[in-house]
Amino acid sequence: MKRGTQFFRTLSRMALLAALAASCPLAAAPPLTEINLPLSSGPDRFALGAARTVGSILAYSRWPAAPDPVRLCVIGAASHAALLNGPLPGGITVSRRNLPAGSSDAAIMCDALYLGNLPLSEMRATIGTVRGRPVVTIAEDDPDCRSEAMFCLVFGQAALSFEMNIDAISRSAVRIDPRVLRMARGY
Amino acid sequence: MAAGASPPTRLPTIRETLARVHLRLVLLAVLLSGVMLMLSGLFTIRDYFERNLALVARTVSYAVEPAIVFGDAEAMRDGIGSVAQLHDVRLVELRDAEGRLLGRWAPPGGDAATGETLAERVLGIAPARQVIRQGDRTIGEVRVLGDTSVLLGYLLSGALISLCCLGLTILAMRLLARRMEEGVVAPLSDIASVAHQVRSQRAFDRRVSPSGIAEVDSFGRDFNALLAELEGWHDSLTAEKDKLAHDATHDPLTGLGNRALLERSLQAAVGDKVRPAQSFALLYLDADHFKQVNDRHGHQAGDTLLIGIADRLRSSIRLHDRAFRLGGDEFAVVLGPTVDHARLANVVGRIETAMAEPVDLPSGKAISPSLSIGAAIYPDDGASPQDLLRRADEQMYLNKLRKRDNPPAQGQHA
Repeated sequence: MKRGTQFFRTLSRMALLAALAASCPLAAAPPLTEINLPLSSGPDRFALGAARTVGSILAYSRWPAAPDPVRLCVIGAASHAALLNGPLPGGITVSRRNLPAGSSDAAIMCDALYLGNLPLSEMRATIGTVRGRPVVTIAEDDPDCRSEAMFCLVFGQAALSFEMNIDAISRSAVRIDPRVLRMARGY
Repeated sequence: MAAGASPPTRLPTIRETLARVHLRLVLLAVLLSGVMLMLSGLFTIRDYFERNLALVARTVSYAVEPAIVFGDAEAMRDGIGSVAQLHDVRLVELRDAEGRLLGRWAPPGGDAATGETLAERVLGIAPARQVIRQGDRTIGEVRVLGDTSVLLGYLLSGALISLCCLGLTILAMRLLARRMEEGVVAPLSDIASVAHQVRSQRAFDRRVSPSGIAEVDSFGRDFNALLAELEGWHDSLTAEKDKLAHDATHDPLTGLGNRALLERSLQAAVGDKVRPAQSFALLYLDADHFKQVNDRHGHQAGDTLLIGIADRLRSSIRLHDRAFRLGGDEFAVVLGPTVDHARLANVVGRIETAMAEPVDLPSGKAISPSLSIGAAIYPDDGASPQDLLRRADEQMYLNKLRKRDNPPAQGQHA
């Protein structure tokens, strides 16, 4: 892991709520309706959450030239990418393309990379090819976020959250709305 | 002065009247300006209040927008709280695009009433609404209700400050009124005091001093002129009265006191029970042969003789002895205290010596008047003026008889 890299991990919502209840005056307020990525039951329960989170991230991403639709490239064997095509929750429309691992076309063909199940070295190599380019990188299967992707999905038992790599985000040519940082704050 | 028109209650002084007028003016001015200031302040604050609510709503909408997109309740709560906590907010409501309630936030311990408060109804403050957009999509709405106790606090502090101003102004007014009293009331009091002294002590020589106020000065000048006229009238009246009084008690021919004055003097000299009198003597004098002088030389000669007798009487008595002409050729002298027989004899001798000097008549002749004298000493010869007069008259008469029986060696009259 690179020195100076900070990982902001969104912790378990329940644990955080308990901590806030003790420390924050907000606890006295009526609780907000829980709309936190309800993971539906069924075999596809993570796919819906992944679609919403990916859609939201892309909605708050600003490319130098706004692409429409957003060209999303899926690399590697993705487990929860079934719904990642067409209009996504968050008001973004993507056109999906599957690329083989090790492809060097990512930098010119994609506005966003969705990395499936790949070895860490391959993930890093793929991300290395788009470094400095306007490409948003999202890792599906890297809960510790060591792949140097900008966003890493974390599939919990009850909810889906994400971590992000501030270092990668700051190097990227894509600008991420700072309000998204709050979504991932885990400290 | 209208008699019987004075009311039973005490009339207000100028100072009280001025103070009352001042108080009303001050109350009016301070209350008016206070109310106007508070009203304009209230509307200004209401304006800021609404803008603040709108700003809070906009900020909340900005802060919670990604949270709604991500569907993150935690971030939503955090986004509302971080903004709304500081800014006089009573309630924040978050709804999604379909109008479903996403969450509600109220400050701890606050009144989370969703209904309209009295202050909101009176001032017409509507909740701030802000549509939340993500790109072109409407994804929700924020509704912010303000905490109107801020406005009540402003009203209360405004009223308190107004009251403080009122108190200070009344204090200042009292000081100014006191100064005004010195400037206005003191000159008037001066005039009143002069008028009072003139009336009660007849001090017509008093005058009002200049006050430095035009109206009062003009009044004072007229008053002084009136006083000068009054003084003139009073002096001439007094002189007239004195002259009349003198004429009533004096003999116009000789200038001596008349019988009335003698009786009054005797009455005063015998004193009363409170103040016992000292001894004094009464001389009764009658000119001898006066009728013959009149017959022989005329009435003018008689008058001249009477004047001559009066002059000689005056010159032969002391300062506090007094001579009177009782009428015709009768005179009286009262010798002041204290008197004994030796002094009495001395005075009688001096009178007779004085009479020895002839009186020049208008006809050119000269006559030495001759007097018959009778004396009475108080209290030896009588205790009342009547007794004394009678006694002295008797003595005089006896002397006259004695003189007629034993005429002097040589006639003193022609």
